Formats: sequence, structure tokens, C-alpha cells
Amino acid sequence: MNSHILSPQNQLSKKAVKVWIISEVIENVIGFIVLGVLFYLDYLFSWKEWIGWILIGVASISVLFAVWSFIRPFLLYKTWRYAVDEEFLQLKYGALIEKHQLIPMTKIQSVATNQGPLLRRYDLYTVSIETMASTHTIPALPKETAVELRNQIAQFAKVKEVES
Amino acid sequence: MIQAKRYNPLLMLFQLFNLIKNSIFFVVFLFVIKAGSDSAFIKYGKVIFILAFVITFISIIIKWFTTKYAFDNKSFYLYKGIFSKSERSIPFSKIQNINRHTALFHRIFRVTSISFETGIKGENASVKFEVVSRIEADRMEAHLSSTVHVDLPSIQESDANMETFPHEEDDSKVNSIRVLHFKPTKKDTLKASFTSFSFLLLIPLIASLYFKINDIFHVEEEAEGVISEILNSWWLVFGIIIFLVIASAAFGIVSTYLKYGKYEISSDFDRIYITKGVINETSFSISKEKVQAIEIKQSTLKRVFGLAEVKLTSAGGLGSEEDKHEINSLYPYLPIRRAYEIVSDILPTYEVTEKMDRLPKKSLWVRLLWPSWIWIITTAVLYYFKPAILNVEKAWWIISACLFVIIGVTRLLDFYNTRYVLNDRFVQFKKGSLTTTLFVSKREKVIEVRVSRNIIQKLLGLASIKTINRAKPVYHAGIEDVPQELANVFYKWYKGRKNEIKLE
Repeated sequence: MNSHILSPQNQLSKKAVKVWIISEVIENVIGFIVLGVLFYLDYLFSWKEWIGWILIGVASISVLFAVWSFIRPFLLYKTWRYAVDEEFLQLKYGALIEKHQLIPMTKIQSVATNQGPLLRRYDLYTVSIETMASTHTIPALPKETAVELRNQIAQFAKVKEVES
Repeated sequence: MIQAKRYNPLLMLFQLFNLIKNSIFFVVFLFVIKAGSDSAFIKYGKVIFILAFVITFISIIIKWFTTKYAFDNKSFYLYKGIFSKSERSIPFSKIQNINRHTALFHRIFRVTSISFETGIKGENASVKFEVVSRIEADRMEAHLSSTVHVDLPSIQESDANMETFPHEEDDSKVNSIRVLHFKPTKKDTLKASFTSFSFLLLIPLIASLYFKINDIFHVEEEAEGVISEILNSWWLVFGIIIFLVIASAAFGIVSTYLKYGKYEISSDFDRIYITKGVINETSFSISKEKVQAIEIKQSTLKRVFGLAEVKLTSAGGLGSEEDKHEINSLYPYLPIRRAYEIVSDILPTYEVTEKMDRLPKKSLWVRLLWPSWIWIITTAVLYYFKPAILNVEKAWWIISACLFVIIGVTRLLDFYNTRYVLNDRFVQFKKGSLTTTLFVSKREKVIEVRVSRNIIQKLLGLASIKTINRAKPVYHAGIEDVPQELANVFYKWYKGRKNEIKLE
């Protein structure tokens, strides 16, 4: 389909799916606990009727999102690609909406590797790239790849355009 | 290193003036309205107010004595602080545009305010001189433009009937003559006043005046007899109507004149200058190669009259005055032909292509069939509440249907107005339903591109393209539902930007 836009080749770590699912599970569990408490309070203090309806609405939407959050990591992993060369950082991702981004190296202002507790458990890193326009993140890369990528981008981004 | 200077002493007066202006509300509230109040809140309020006033007053004076500035051939240097001193240098090359604002205060003392805007984020983004003598402002501006671009090849301007722009107090530092490109004639101002509906401004003004007078004098009761008498004689009614029409037209023309009357678009070989305003004079100047993009905007009415507004996008800030949205605009009511001419005159490196491509038919279907969340939510809410408006019980579905038609028509108009073209070095997008915007930028000025496709677009072989340009905040432009092939070309086109950029 998209044969003309040359898709970048590099993929994320396979463990990404696991990490995402775990974090989704944690988020969902917390969310549902909060909802459960609210339902209990609603029952206990017999709050106004419309609050109950809103709670039911929120709960049903949360269920749908919970189901989606177990499918999304697989799709996201399948679609995530990135590539770096001397001139451009190229990103492609999106579970439902396929997004391609092309960022000139000369416009990159900073690059960093981050690691949360969950990523640390699996020895993964997130590389975040800040440009004048926005911050881009490449989630869940193995440690060596992440560090190498960061250094490489930093090297390439050293070159500056004559700013006019 | 050049000797650092203090700011103009009138700065203290200006700040004191602002301080008094800002404290009027508190003075009236604390010392007039609540003068006799014994409540502790008011009592402490007075004390706190006086304290704050005195502290601010002292700090204005101390600040003046402790801040200094200097500039050499490369940068501004700003010094401030008593105990913790700070020194800041801002290279001229980072300055994107220069804004000047001459308010009434500045007029009285024959000074001006000037601010040099950079593209840096945060509060230190500009070098601002709130009060500075006009000579000094001119000197700084000329100094900056002559030192930064002195090594650039001069650009040949080809307009035979150019008048030279008489510039006050400018010395030989400006290395080329300023050329005046546009100055609105009486006809332009007239056209502008009618296209902007400024003549309607009189109505709310009279209404509010009437209600205020009525509150005090109870005109309504006393004038009852008079009004019925007036209505009885048709020629008096006729006369009043004619008088009102003339008055509102005159009012509209005067207010338009005050706003856009003294407009001037001029340029020299590396800068563009836009000056406007009769009472409050503002001016905006930008280096030609710092123009990030051009925007040509047309409302429906402007399209009918063949007028357009041209805006120059700058990466620097546009100041915090209320008219900041218009400061970077070339005259907002330019005849469209003239607008294109001026653009090619002042920005010879830009090309505006008038022949552009349209979207394919299938994008119309995507756009028409795409669910409108506004309509769905409004209809759901209306269905739930079923409000009876003007005693019409079925009002909810009438509103819903109207909204549906309006949304459909806007989408249709947007589809027909959407055009795009990718030239060798330029990108052009035009879109909008009632007000259309034409966006033109150079490949080297685009800082990022995006292509995206949702599921339906994937099925139909369509895609959305987007460019991001420097501005404050960053400027996103793009077109939805272009053919997939164009998206691919667009991606490749951006990859070719290495042909234009120069590396340091």
C-alpha cells in the first residue's frame, strides 16, 4: 500500500508488548478500583440519580477501553518503525492511524534516554527527542540500542543549519 | 566592548504612569467606595495596597539604577541586579523581528518603545526597551540590520515606479534606500471600512450611550410624546434615518482611518517594514530571509470585493499589545492583484503559484460521510432534553437538521476551496469554507513534516499531509484527504531539502 514512502526498518524491543500490557493492566486495575469505590459510595450515601448514570457510562466506556488496551500493544508493536541517517529521523507508528514523521537532524535540540520502574525491570529505555516543534519518543528499546541511538542522534544533530 | 548605558530616565515615569493606571481600581475600591467601612478586610487591604505601591515605586527607581544595556557588532548585552547580578547577551542573528509601539505616552515625550524578538521560548525571548528616544531606536534598528546582513549579496529589485521612502533621522548606516510599496489611498480606506462592516459599530455605541443616559435622566418616559410626534411626520423619520446612515458611515470611515489609515509597507534590500496607526503607532520589521511563511486570508466578503490580507509569519513574538494579531499583517484589505505584486516585490525569493491542484472526488465522499461529533453530541443532547423553543415542540429536530445541513455545506465549501501544489522549493496549501487561507512556505523553512492515514483513508488510497513551521507558537499547516501518491511525493519532496540548506 504505502510502497512509495520507504518505511523505516528498525523495530522496538519485543518486550515492548509485555511492558505495555503490564502497564495497561496496572492502570486499568487502579481505574476500576477507583470506579468501584465510587459505586460503593454512591450506594452508601445514595447520591443523586444522575451521578449513578454517569458512573455507569464511565464504567462501560472503561470496559471498552480496557479491551482495546489489550489489543493495542500488539498493533503498536507491529507498526512501530524508526530510522536515523545523517539528515533525518524517520518515525512510523500508529495502531489505527498510521503516522509518518520526518524530522531533520538539524532541527533536533536535545535527545535523552529515560527509564521508568517498569522499563527498568525489563532493561529497556525510552529515547525522547526534542525539536523546536514538539517532543518525539521512541518507546521501549533495549539498553544498548537506546544508548547507541541517542549518541548517534546527538552526533548527527550537532550539525547546524545556517539559521536564516 | 562598548560602554554600557542606563535606560532612558523617562522609563521610570512610564512605569510610574503604568503603576498609577493599574492601581486606580484599588484606589477607587478601597478609598472611595469602601471609604467608611470598618471591616478588617478593608483596613488591611488599605495597608497592603499602600505598602505594595511604595515598594513598587522604590523598585522602579532601583531597577533603573541597576539595569544597563550595551550592544556591539554582534549582540545585545543586558546587565541587571544588585546582589545577584545577571548578564545576558543576545546575538543579533537570533533576532527574528522588531516591533515598535508608540502609544500616547510616547508621543507626548517624543519617544517610542522597541522590542527585538527572538525565537527563544520563555520569558527572556525579547530584548525590550519600553521607553527609548526615537533616535536611539532608529540607531539600534539600523545598526542591527546593517551588521547582520552586510555580507549578503544584494537582491535586485525591479520596480520602475518606486518612490524612495523618506525616513526621519536615519543616518548613513542603512545601506540601501527604503522603497515604499503600499500606502492606502482614500479609496482603499473606504473599501476597507465597508468590508469590515465598521459602520455597524455606531449601533452598539449609540445603544450603550442611550441606556446609560436613560439610567440617569429617564428619557424614555419624558420623550414618549416627542417620539409619537416624530413618527407622525414621515419626512422627519426619513431625515433621521438619512442622518443615522450618514453618521454611521462617517463613523465607520473615521474608525477605519484611525486603525488602517496611515499604513505603510516598505522594504529595503534585506528588511520589510510595516507601519500603521494614527494615534497609537505600531511598526513591525522583519528580515526578508527570516520570513517563515506567508499566509493570504480572504473572508467571503473580501472575496466578493477582491480583497485579501497577507500575513508574514515570524518565529519571533508579536508583542503583547491587543493588536498583536494584526501587527505582522500587510494591509488587511489589499486588492488581491496588488497583494501578489507586493509579495513578489518584497520577497523576491518567494513565489506564489496561482494554478493549484484540487482534491479528487473520493475525498469529498470521505469528508461528507465522516461522522460529525459536534452534530452527534448536539443531537443527543437535544434529543434528551427536547427543549421547546419559541413554543415549537419539535424544535429539537429542526435545529438538528439545520446543523446537519450547515455542517454538510461547510464541508462541501471546504472541499471546493481546497487546493494544493508542491513546487520545486515551495509548498502551497489553500483551504477553508467561508474564510479561505492560502499558506505558502519554502522547503527550507519547514521544520518537520507528517503524513497520516486512518483506516478509511487507507481503503480509498488517501492520506493527510502536514507541515510544521517556526512561529510563536509553532505553525501547523496541512491538507486532509490528498491522494496517496501526493503524500509520497510530499515525503520525498521534503527529503530533498538538503539542496537548499547551508550547513554551518
